[in-house]
Amino acid sequence: MKSISVLVCAGSLLVWAAGCHRSSNSNSVAVNGPAITSNPVGPVPGGVQDIQYPTNPYMQDPVALQDGRRLFDWYNCSGCHGGHAGGGMGPSLRDPVWIYGNRDDQIFDTIAHGRSKGMPSWGSKIPEQQIWELVAYIKSMGTPEEPDPPVEPAHEQMPNPQQEEKPSVATQPPAAETH
Amino acid sequence: MDRLIPGLRWAGIAGLILLAGVVGAQKESANGTTMNVPGAMPNVHVVSPLANGQWTMPAGDYGNLRYSPLSQINTTNVQNLRVVANMTDGIPHGHEGGPLVVGSTLYMVTPFPNNLYAFDLSKPHFLLKWEYQPHPDIASQGVACCDVVNRGASYADGKIIYALLDNHVVAVDAQTGHEAWRTQVGDIHFGETTTMAPIVVKNLVYVGNSGGELGVRGKLTGLDVKTGKVQWIAWSTGSDQDVRIGSDFKPFYAHEKQGKDQGIKSWTPGQWKIGGGTIWGWISYDPELNLIYYGTGNPGPWNPDMRPGDNKWTVTIFARDADTGMVKWAWQLGPHDEWDYDEIMENILVDMPWKGQMRKLLIHPGRSGFMYVVDRQSGELLSASTYEPTNWATGYDLNTGQPIEVKEKETHFGKYSTDICPSSTGAKDFIPSSFSPRTGLVYIPAHNTCMDYMGTAVNYIAGTPYLGASVRMYPGQGGYQGELVAWDVAQGKKVWSVKEPDLPVYSGVLSTGGDLVFYGTMDGWFRALDAHSGKVLWQFKTPSGIVGNPVTFTGPDGKQYVAIYSGVGGWMGATALPDVSTDDPYAALGVVGAMKKIKTLSPPGDLLYAFGL
Repeated sequence: MKSISVLVCAGSLLVWAAGCHRSSNSNSVAVNGPAITSNPVGPVPGGVQDIQYPTNPYMQDPVALQDGRRLFDWYNCSGCHGGHAGGGMGPSLRDPVWIYGNRDDQIFDTIAHGRSKGMPSWGSKIPEQQIWELVAYIKSMGTPEEPDPPVEPAHEQMPNPQQEEKPSVATQPPAAETH
Repeated sequence: MDRLIPGLRWAGIAGLILLAGVVGAQKESANGTTMNVPGAMPNVHVVSPLANGQWTMPAGDYGNLRYSPLSQINTTNVQNLRVVANMTDGIPHGHEGGPLVVGSTLYMVTPFPNNLYAFDLSKPHFLLKWEYQPHPDIASQGVACCDVVNRGASYADGKIIYALLDNHVVAVDAQTGHEAWRTQVGDIHFGETTTMAPIVVKNLVYVGNSGGELGVRGKLTGLDVKTGKVQWIAWSTGSDQDVRIGSDFKPFYAHEKQGKDQGIKSWTPGQWKIGGGTIWGWISYDPELNLIYYGTGNPGPWNPDMRPGDNKWTVTIFARDADTGMVKWAWQLGPHDEWDYDEIMENILVDMPWKGQMRKLLIHPGRSGFMYVVDRQSGELLSASTYEPTNWATGYDLNTGQPIEVKEKETHFGKYSTDICPSSTGAKDFIPSSFSPRTGLVYIPAHNTCMDYMGTAVNYIAGTPYLGASVRMYPGQGGYQGELVAWDVAQGKKVWSVKEPDLPVYSGVLSTGGDLVFYGTMDGWFRALDAHSGKVLWQFKTPSGIVGNPVTFTGPDGKQYVAIYSGVGGWMGATALPDVSTDDPYAALGVVGAMKKIKTLSPPGDLLYAFGL
């Protein structure tokens, strides 16, 4: 009981701290309403080339990257997409495949609005600047800037200690071992 | 033609025995089952009819033996086995479970979107008769923990009955392919899915839920086979009323008799509502005792410090009245689980001598690395010995039914406990074993995988993972990662095994009256072993890893066939799928570190193979 309340408190503090860390005039919700972007649907006739897609205000901000990493666990992103986003229930975010595009605004929209195969729409739960921090973290993956990058456990290379199973293996007829 | 010659040569020696077997099979093939097991060991008795021509339920029989007396294909001719048909469903995901055979039709349920195919066994190449498309909610894919799998169907009351990923159970007319009923038994918005194969006893369909990694509260639902109407729900956690514990409840051990509502009191307040104990494996049935048996999954979240207490009734074997669902006995194999050792594995029911006395056994090869032998009448643990490297406990106290745990393998918040064996994926996972009454051996598809495990903070957000652990897995010591273990039940030890260097064995097993053991490997080999010696007598390379369960049946032409899926996936197999990348050993709930080699050894697949002589 005690440990649980401690955990919850620690967790709330964490979110609170992350939420307060960046002051923002519209701190709370990006809601399930219109997309964050007001991009044109497709190319604009007449040779217009300079469409301004919204970009991430926190890109390459190391504090934001750290926040993004923490939020990735905090909002259970890691449960679906993998501890460091290598995939699982949801697709890998580390590979070159981007089902819904990899521009900052596209990743933002995916988080805020959800996607049909089961990605929840987080816009009503995660404040806008935290979504941008998540976007910053996701885009840092595999780069030298990635905070807390995945490391291989050292155990694979360890020599074989005494820990082995019962002698029943020795009773196997050789035929069964031929693989 | 020349293929017949070796057969003729053998005819003089084995012909009479074979002939007797074939005639016996034909005599009883009216309903495709038999209680008669030619060549069974003395005093080894099956508890319900075995699949003997048809394959009408997930395990072939209620006792979950996955044994068929069919013996046309046997140790003398198996080398002549060849592909007689193969079919594709175009869905490159984990093909767990196996097909059904009813009369002259073979039925295949696909992974999501859970289409049902009926193939005509009376036509060459087993041509398609019809296809049924249930169109489950596509968002269900996003709450399926471990690939979008389905573990099979049951045939009853003229219908093929199975569960869709989005928590609907459907019954489809086996002749026409038309939907007879569809019932919702869960809600994806709470992270629930249904992946298990329902079984049908008398007029009840039993189906459990999945989602132990998403804060789902485990439950078994009983539905009317005619209408699909829900008759009762038996929860894995909560009040005695919810769990269906009443005056009939007579557990063997004092640990399970600690007063009322242990499903609430053995948790921190309210935690039982999101505490797991899901039911996504196999159900057995003993017609004589009129009891069903199944195990429940892990408690949630994986961080054990967030749920002090026993966390009843997770990681528990239940014996329930088959009609009312009321609990007869329960035994918690893993009180306060700290390693995600779901115990939803198969429970093999057989009557045989145990230490000089006939006993009604329940044999449960555990995810925890222990082979449990239980008296299924009383719930008494008779034996627990390890069949793969296991270090979280040194054994079980048979007087209390409690594991003797190893302090340094406990897991806690904020710190990795290292070198825990087996890993969360278990010394075996849900993939079912087989028991041959002719050899007295259980054939266990096993893994040798270990892990580091750390509890982490986690929020409950409905419909999202409720994991609370950082886990990284890696191959165990000994130079192998998979093993088909032949386990002598009476002697309580491993007698032989066939090892796989690079990948776990993650397919179900079938044994037959031809003294053959069929199973597949994650790199796509489908094998037949000699059931006595373990010698590999035949193998065939399918394109994708095998994570399904082999079945055998007699076609309308009177010939014996064997069928298996080839389509890698599931929890451990998910690493083979393009959605998972290998530069994160923590991906796919921690399995990727142990499964990297599968990317080159097994591409995804979508095939059903049928073999015959």
